[in-house]
Amino acid sequence: MRVDFTPAVHQALADDPASVFITGALGYNALEEVAAAYGPRFLNAGVAEQNMVGVAAGVALAGFRPWVYSIAPFAVYRCFEQLRNDVCLHRLPVRLVGNGGGFTYGIMGSTHHALEDLGALKTLPNLELFFPGTNDHVAAAVRLMRDLPGPAYLRLGISGFASARAPLSENPRTLTRHYAQGSRVTVIGVGHAVQIALTALEQQDLAALGVDLYGISRFPFDLESDAALVESVRKTGTVLVLDEHYRAGSIAESLRLALPPVPYFEALTARYEPSQRYGSAQFLLRQSGLTPEAVREAILELRS
Amino acid sequence: MREFRKDALAIRKRFLRMHFEAQAGHIGTGLSCLDLLTFLYKSRLRRPGQPGGDQFILSKGHGASALYATLNFYGLLTDELLATYYKDGTLLPAHPAPGALPTIPAATGSLGHGLPIAAGLAFAHQVLRPSDTRVVCLLSDGDCNEGSVWEAAMFAAHHRLANLTVIVDANGLQGFGRTRDVLDIEPLARKWDTFGFDTIELDGHDFEEIRDALTQVISKDRPRCLIARTIKGKGVSFMENRLEWHYLPMKPEQFAEAMRELEKAGESL
Repeated sequence: MRVDFTPAVHQALADDPASVFITGALGYNALEEVAAAYGPRFLNAGVAEQNMVGVAAGVALAGFRPWVYSIAPFAVYRCFEQLRNDVCLHRLPVRLVGNGGGFTYGIMGSTHHALEDLGALKTLPNLELFFPGTNDHVAAAVRLMRDLPGPAYLRLGISGFASARAPLSENPRTLTRHYAQGSRVTVIGVGHAVQIALTALEQQDLAALGVDLYGISRFPFDLESDAALVESVRKTGTVLVLDEHYRAGSIAESLRLALPPVPYFEALTARYEPSQRYGSAQFLLRQSGLTPEAVREAILELRS
Repeated sequence: MREFRKDALAIRKRFLRMHFEAQAGHIGTGLSCLDLLTFLYKSRLRRPGQPGGDQFILSKGHGASALYATLNFYGLLTDELLATYYKDGTLLPAHPAPGALPTIPAATGSLGHGLPIAAGLAFAHQVLRPSDTRVVCLLSDGDCNEGSVWEAAMFAAHHRLANLTVIVDANGLQGFGRTRDVLDIEPLARKWDTFGFDTIELDGHDFEEIRDALTQVISKDRPRCLIARTIKGKGVSFMENRLEWHYLPMKPEQFAEAMRELEKAGESL
């Protein structure tokens, strides 16, 4: 997704002369063009995330609209208090970008994974979260964030089960996408976890199981706007959520509270293995039971 | 500098009355930075809180009541608003609220936050949209325990933010002990100097020294840091240098005694 993020944010910076781009010493082989194009509006704040976010708040207080970029765990955890106090409580237009949500950074190890980013950030006041499902979904999220008056977070990721297909429809407001029509089970992919379901759709013959497949990409939810999704849940009474995130604090948890109560609800989420075995994003997803095969099994289980 | 001393005395009285009526603590910390605030708002900051005006960030958010009293004295905060201090429904809590007043751009209270914000403001006003706006950030010495302060110091020096002035209210006491016993941060002046600031050590209760430290020309491309040696509880003898006045509210007889002492100090001015 980072490949798609770069031109999108390049355009956003061109569109909005009050915008600036601040990176926490990351962006090698990705942001060089942005750096070259925007002079002092491109700022490398160094390996100092707390200061980076505080500086972004100060820059925003002076009337600018910063994008702040790092890899997801570094963009969120150390500077959480700066995000809360300096940015969110002041409703400042700081757009935080975390590259590598979930297990994206695979073999880099657990310090580089972000399985708690959305859970931590969804507690913050005034903050909007965006988690595009596929690469072709990033630009739309960047455009929405460009125009927001307050703070936002963008979670970029690469799925261990990469897949893409054209959606049947997309809600331009919530970025919710409808991928497959069915009447038995509502499957909801959170952010790039939808790609696991898309892979299952190709490999596991989900269509025959009556799967109504959605990808969601924005929090807080706007279920009035996503009436079709709610209607699907009402109709099937059976929901499976895929979320490449810790179960505690997941968007899946929030969905369970927000959706109409259903008799059958299951969520497949990510976890750290006590065994401490590392590998590619796909390897880690397999360890967590977040696989296309597991999607099929969970659907069969829910239906029975 | 007699006018400054007169103002500071009047602000001290106002400040103590606020604290007595509210039965609020954080008295010692307010008194240690009150002369610095007086100088800043009487003669240094131009059009604070107005568009294009100078910016002041109180990183030591627990000094908010001293700032409220100072703003009120110089007509930047109404009596009606000040009367709500510490009460239910107020815009003036013990630590500044986010976006409540144009004169207080940032909510602070968790230490280590003010300087990064001030550095961002200074960067915006010097690099992104050059103007003559000055940015002043007041830290406590306890503030300097926080790593984010030094991240921001590196940033400000690297970007040569000459429009930024840091003032460290070095009263030598923090929440649970003397700074030198808890986590010794001396030599403060050498640290800030090494981090790339024009650094001046001064008596934070001496208005001539404060004026000189703020106004003397040193270099044109470095941020400035004033290490203001201050006394926690300054001006009320039984509070001076006493840790408990970080927390205690005043009893009626203590308030009366403090006010008598300030009256007496006024007579000798």
